Amino acid sequence: MMKIVIIVCGLIVLVLFVFVVRVPVSLTIDEVSEAVSDAISKSNISVDEDIVEQSVLQTVEILEKRQSKRIRYLASAYFVIWLVFMLYVVRVVQQQRKLDQRLSQLEQDTSGSQSEHIG
Amino acid sequence: MGKVITILAVVTFILLFCSIYLIFGYAHIEKTMLEVQKIFYFHVSSALTLFVAFGINFVFSITYLINRKSNYDLLAASAAEIGLVFCTITLLSGPIWARSAWDTWWSWEPRLTSTLILWLMYVGYFILRSALDGDNKKTYSAVLGIIAYLDAPIVYYAVDIWQEGLHPDRATKWKQAFSMKFTWMFTLLTFILLCVLLILVQYKQKKSEEQHEIIRQKHFGKVL
Repeated sequence: MMKIVIIVCGLIVLVLFVFVVRVPVSLTIDEVSEAVSDAISKSNISVDEDIVEQSVLQTVEILEKRQSKRIRYLASAYFVIWLVFMLYVVRVVQQQRKLDQRLSQLEQDTSGSQSEHIG
Repeated sequence: MGKVITILAVVTFILLFCSIYLIFGYAHIEKTMLEVQKIFYFHVSSALTLFVAFGINFVFSITYLINRKSNYDLLAASAAEIGLVFCTITLLSGPIWARSAWDTWWSWEPRLTSTLILWLMYVGYFILRSALDGDNKKTYSAVLGIIAYLDAPIVYYAVDIWQEGLHPDRATKWKQAFSMKFTWMFTLLTFILLCVLLILVQYKQKKSEEQHEIIRQKHFGKVL
């Protein structure tokens, strides 16, 4: 039963990361304009196509960096959540294993002592 | 009980898969925090589920003090353990969200501080249980369980009482788009089912341990 739980937990983590990677690109107008002005102010442009092109590229780079940072935080949060669950499940499995060992030891002890009584 | 646990486990895992789909495939992306807001669904759900788990601990602690039946103590301890797991998840996922959204890992604001105090009190609950034995363990841990739960309303209403800090108003979560509200409610339901499942698994294990101990003591008491 516990092995199945661990496998299912692993599958959930896998599905989770597949979905996290597939989160669509999302940019708000405010964010775009903020990034453009950031990029323009950084490059000190006088209107020139090359420089504008450069600014846009910088803008895209900034936005990509911001998004990858957000995705990193999102992925790490879900990773931490599932790590806690997995560690807990592993602990429960270990406890169950110890209990099973103790039970089988008890069975052996009791059957041994019963035969001593009969003898 | 084994059958109930199996059915509950299957239902919970199916719902967990559905929750993940809803979070990443269905719910709208929030306009201010964008993708990182998706931490909300597991963070807030685990925060509310910890109240359920610690609430079960509170109820069974009182019931144990009234009836003095060992089963109630075991149920209380199981619920406290699961509550601690959800509280840990809340305390770990919160700072990651805070760092991304507000550029800080931790702030000593009322809700965060009271949640940390709640976590520490239940850690203390298990330290107490491991330090004591027999009826003393059950009685004192039940008393501590009741006292610790008094912090739960403080955590929940901290934003209303002090009206400061990183956490938004409690009503904010209801002001979202339908897809976000639905996803959150679905995830919350899943987490509550997961909480009940884990409490039952933990209770079954603790009960087996107790029975094992009783048999061992009885048997070797007779032999010796």
